[in-house]
Amino acid sequence: MNLYNIAVKNIIRRKTRMLLILCGLIAGIATAVALFMIVGSMRLALGDQIDEFGSNVIILPRTEGMDISYGGTHVSRASIDLEQLTETDLDKIKEIPDYNSINIVSPKMVAAVTVNEREVLLVGIDPRREFIMKPWFSLGEQAGLPAGAAPGDLALIELPDNGLIAGFDSARSLGLDAGDIIDINGSSFIISGVLNPLGSVEDGLFFGNLAAVQTLLGRPGEISMIEISAYCNACPIEEIAAQLTVALPNGRVTALRQAALLREETIDKFSIFSILLSAVVLLIAALLVVTTMMASVHERTREIGIFRAIGFRGSHVMQIIFLEAGLTGLLGGITGYFSGSLIAGLAGSYLAGSSVPVSQQLNLLLPAVALALLITLAAAAYPARKAANLDPVEALRFI
Amino acid sequence: MTDILIDIDDISKTYHAGGTAVPVLQNLSLKIARGQAVAVMGPSGSGKSTLLSIIGGLNPPTGGRIMIDDIDLYALSRERRADFRREYLGFVFQQFQLIPYLTAFENVLLPLTTTRYPARQKREMAQQALKRVNMTGWADRLPNQLSGGEQERVAIARAVVNEPPLILADEPTGSLDTRTAGEIMELFSSLNESGLTILMVTHNPGNTSYMNRTIAMQDGLLTEDSEAIGVLPAGQARPLESVGGR
Repeated sequence: MNLYNIAVKNIIRRKTRMLLILCGLIAGIATAVALFMIVGSMRLALGDQIDEFGSNVIILPRTEGMDISYGGTHVSRASIDLEQLTETDLDKIKEIPDYNSINIVSPKMVAAVTVNEREVLLVGIDPRREFIMKPWFSLGEQAGLPAGAAPGDLALIELPDNGLIAGFDSARSLGLDAGDIIDINGSSFIISGVLNPLGSVEDGLFFGNLAAVQTLLGRPGEISMIEISAYCNACPIEEIAAQLTVALPNGRVTALRQAALLREETIDKFSIFSILLSAVVLLIAALLVVTTMMASVHERTREIGIFRAIGFRGSHVMQIIFLEAGLTGLLGGITGYFSGSLIAGLAGSYLAGSSVPVSQQLNLLLPAVALALLITLAAAAYPARKAANLDPVEALRFI
Repeated sequence: MTDILIDIDDISKTYHAGGTAVPVLQNLSLKIARGQAVAVMGPSGSGKSTLLSIIGGLNPPTGGRIMIDDIDLYALSRERRADFRREYLGFVFQQFQLIPYLTAFENVLLPLTTTRYPARQKREMAQQALKRVNMTGWADRLPNQLSGGEQERVAIARAVVNEPPLILADEPTGSLDTRTAGEIMELFSSLNESGLTILMVTHNPGNTSYMNRTIAMQDGLLTEDSEAIGVLPAGQARPLESVGGR
């Protein structure tokens, strides 16, 4: 027999009391584990949603001189660019190490053109890529639809070479409707659709097929800018930007931090909330351990007096109390981890309001057990010290 | 090695209760030779249990010094006194004080738990101790499955398991019927005959007949000694004929 046996036998003897500690501990650890897993899934889901919500890297030609602006980003006039971007640069993007993190690459040709004696910006795009990247774009009018029919999905529209999508303000200021014909540099274009108002600079643009715009401007293969949407849960967007800078020495790569910052801020708030909630539950569990262990020590005053009288050191008594706490913590940590995993699995998606399933994280088992041990051992420190310092004479009522 | 196992020199003990000093032992001196079986008698509150706890290293005196086997007991640290108790002392408490969730065998094994003996030797020592008190057949029983006399025997086995030179017993027969008490006292007597020194606090005058020395206390003072060894001033010590003989 050793101190461990004494601790185990005492746990078995005081089943109800130990069960109470265990329940508190399991509740605390399970809460922490479940929240951690749920927040982890929310982080993934939210990251994906935000990453898909627009571009977060813009590549422009290296340039000097006067720029015109589009989307808060300066777009250079081709005539004063130092370097040009071309469609061959799109292949170079595919060679960067983190290409798998890139969701959409949307090249553009931007140029100022004259329509009905007014200067407007014409943007050549790959309609599928551009409108998937910007799902908040939608059609208010569409040419060729029967009266009363709703416009189709913009991302699925087949834009002909002579077709244009007009921004809401462009169409209104020029008095254009879907189906109207306009002349640009001697070529005729049909207004295939008019966008709903966006409240942004895109309201004043015309969008056409990239190849058609390049031909119209006499700049085949040339690109004014490339917008990139990258998933970057596993990698910082700056890292992708750095890789693109190396791959495209003729380009000026700008990482748009807004999306990443917004995502980080939101996730941080979730994390802080979950940490605080877990801390409160774990604190309650710790207090439960302290009070229960104190009651246990008080109940065992005479027993501890006997231990001391027959030659147990104070440190031996402390070891017994710590062993009991440690064993309870070990059991509570393991059970708490699996309970938390179960809760996260069953209710995680519902609680997180996400369609992303909560993944089980076995790597949390060790931290969960360590946390449970830390809590029980720290909570047992005072009762153990109290037990070790019990006056054996008082304990045995010698006097 | 001296013949004197316990040398108590002018010890006092005062408790403080509600700001009032209550002297429990007053300048008490006593020498107990190795191999003696000493009964300590006296009315409740006379200080005999306090004396026992002081000799047991559990209760530091307010003044004076106590030497056991030439070791100044209270010069030792608290933890070293625990080691001392484990090696030198065996306690037999009033009402047995067995650990209720341990079997008789495990209770006997308890003082060896923190020793460095090999596990097998510990088990052999515990079996030997149980054999010494004729309790080998009850080894696997829990205390609540034993009679009072059987629990007392287990408590005695626990006290002798580490083969200490000194046994301290506090009212060991207080909870037992007369017949069982007689059997237990026979056991103490045989332990004493095997060389153990025994110091026993008792209210029962009949128990003194199993001891070879009896001292009496009153109000924290040693009032009578059946075998004064220069403890009391000459002429004050006298045999305690009144408490009977064997």
